[in-house]
Amino acid sequence: MPALVPGEERCPLCGKVFEAVGQGCRPSCPLARGCRVVCCPSCGYSFPQESGWAGRLKGWLERRKESQG
Amino acid sequence: MTPPTTGSARIQPLDHKEIVAAPRTLILVGNPNVGKSVLFGALTGKYVTVSNYPGTTVEVTRGSAEIGGGRWHVLDTPGTNNLLPMSEDEQVTRDILLREQEYVCLQVCDAKNLRRGLLLAAQLAEAGVPFALALNMADEAAARGFRIDVDRLSAELGIDAVQTVAVQRTGLPHLLQRIPEARTSRFRPRYDDAIEAAVEEIEPLLPEERLSRRSIALMVLAGDESLRSWLASRVSEANLARLDESRRRLAARYPESLRFVVARQRLAAADRLHEQVVTRGRISAGSTLARRVGAWSTHPLYGIPILLLVLVVAYFFVGVFGAKTAVDFLENAVFYDRVVPWTEALLRWLVPAGPVQEFLVGPPGLSFRDTNGFIIGKYGLVSMGLAYGMAIVLPIVATFFLAFSVLEDSGYLPRLAVMVNKVFKWMGLNGKAVLPMVLGLGCDTMATMTARIMETRKERVIVTLLLALGVPCSAQIAVIFAMLGSLSLAASLWFTGVIILVLFLVGWLAARVIPGRGSDFVLELPPLRVPQFGNVLVKTLARMEWYLREALPLFVLGTLILWGLDRTHMLGLVERAAAPVVVGLLELPEQAASAFILGFLRRDYAAAGLFQIYQPYMTTGTMTRVMEIQVTVALVTVTLFIPCIANFLMILKERGWKTGLAIAAFVLPFSVGVGAGVNILMRRFF
Repeated sequence: MPALVPGEERCPLCGKVFEAVGQGCRPSCPLARGCRVVCCPSCGYSFPQESGWAGRLKGWLERRKESQG
Repeated sequence: MTPPTTGSARIQPLDHKEIVAAPRTLILVGNPNVGKSVLFGALTGKYVTVSNYPGTTVEVTRGSAEIGGGRWHVLDTPGTNNLLPMSEDEQVTRDILLREQEYVCLQVCDAKNLRRGLLLAAQLAEAGVPFALALNMADEAAARGFRIDVDRLSAELGIDAVQTVAVQRTGLPHLLQRIPEARTSRFRPRYDDAIEAAVEEIEPLLPEERLSRRSIALMVLAGDESLRSWLASRVSEANLARLDESRRRLAARYPESLRFVVARQRLAAADRLHEQVVTRGRISAGSTLARRVGAWSTHPLYGIPILLLVLVVAYFFVGVFGAKTAVDFLENAVFYDRVVPWTEALLRWLVPAGPVQEFLVGPPGLSFRDTNGFIIGKYGLVSMGLAYGMAIVLPIVATFFLAFSVLEDSGYLPRLAVMVNKVFKWMGLNGKAVLPMVLGLGCDTMATMTARIMETRKERVIVTLLLALGVPCSAQIAVIFAMLGSLSLAASLWFTGVIILVLFLVGWLAARVIPGRGSDFVLELPPLRVPQFGNVLVKTLARMEWYLREALPLFVLGTLILWGLDRTHMLGLVERAAAPVVVGLLELPEQAASAFILGFLRRDYAAAGLFQIYQPYMTTGTMTRVMEIQVTVALVTVTLFIPCIANFLMILKERGWKTGLAIAAFVLPFSVGVGAGVNILMRRFF
């Protein structure tokens, strides 16, 4: 099963904002297990979810931005 | 109204008598994901019924609410971007508006994405439906710097617009006051003279029901087939024929479909309104330039130099910096000078001399390239599997992902889709097909699955074939860039020209051979902006993680297969068996056969194998003419080669065994054939 983390995603192609859970785009893919690719429900564009190390970096950047006002 | 009898209630059902007794109906409409259901919940409380809309699998939710001192029946419709339906969800929403009697609408839109909301508002206005507008997520819009002139918006539309934050119930009391006063909007998008004349001509032929004749006329002209059965029961056969004739005459005036033309002109009207009512804080300073560059990037003429510039920058960044500087450092300074000798030394220290040590790292005193050790050897897990994955492909894909993330974050990708729309249409596809193609540049396996968004079987098969045949995935394109970086410009042009020509020819032929009809595509363009450093970094890291999780295990598997073939002396047999094709037909070195074997697992792994064969000459700049021809031929063959194993399995799952095997049976000999053809031509003309 796709290993998506709950959270809001914004499609880099069409700009749609959607909830990631349930949008793992390839449950039938032979490599789906643990896959973090999310699929936009509006245009079908797929992109890796920014979780894991990327998620940590994103969180750190956001915290830094907030602390700088 | 009476709730449908089909479907089952999933939540505690509402007292049906109460629904039926409600004298007035409120229908919630809006784009997907704008907080419509949250607002519905806030209005109706927890007692609602969820059931399938009759004859469909689409769910609609009903409840009741106290509004303006009276009881209202409230109906939540599926999210829609258009009253010209392109999906079952959108058709259900349009049919509800078409068939229900005596209702008012509440359009919920995302205040931070108002353009999309205004496109729908324009259609509700055209339809003559009384409605009020909830500008939901107003807090998020404000946080992102959007300022909406609500009074002006209300005045321009001629209806009430209220800012809300549904999750906090902010603005709801005010909204509830405005709903009973909902009225029809005076906003009317104007179309070009030909469309306006056609609307005027067919309006008298149409029935005047819940939606205005003008609105139905536009749906008919745009070719809304889902409306046909509704029309057939209300319009005489003679008038139906006149409608078809008017539509045909109008369609002949435009190169694009009428659906697209109508949508584009309506969007332009919504855009003008958007310009008048929305300002965006700090970003608006550079927005004029951004809009201008954005417009150029989709222009059929100016768009081409912009695309070429993007490709050239990507080529130098990936092909020169990534493939030369970064690969040279990681491969030699890190892997072959340190990781491989250190791992070998560690294993020799840990494992006593003997057959086990020899099995793992080969006999002492020999270069790893001359041994067949399991960990360190010619096909060793570390010296080949990890070295290919981490030292050759990773730096190349990392630079490519960085370039791709910049394009993605800048908003250029959807513009690229718009620009090549016409090209794809000529091949029998539409702009929507560009999405799987662009996605194929990331991963063909995902893109094959995304071919589902194509509406007809014909389009899905063509897209799958083109993806399998000639769209290199990100990892492969990165290695291709790397190899092209060491070729002369002429050889690079040979490669690029052949791939583009093949894609065109196959797509064009496939569009004519595979039966089915084409469809239209409308894509909203996000604003063009300067990429944010943090965003680019996060996106690149996310893609690299994905690559390491997905590609690296297959690299290791590929190495294991090669190692197994080598240990059992099968590799020599395979190379000899493939020699008539690899050496005889393609005139490549014999060891290129092992690269093609790797190509069955991943095409970028195959390209990495080829990269390694020629790397010493590339680095020292001693590539001969024959070598350039060989690299070009090998690259063409590998690019057109059978898709990687994951993609192949996906094709079988998505398109079925017959189509999947037919695609593979076509692609394998075709790729070799084209490679052989390029070899003959280049040896003669290069």
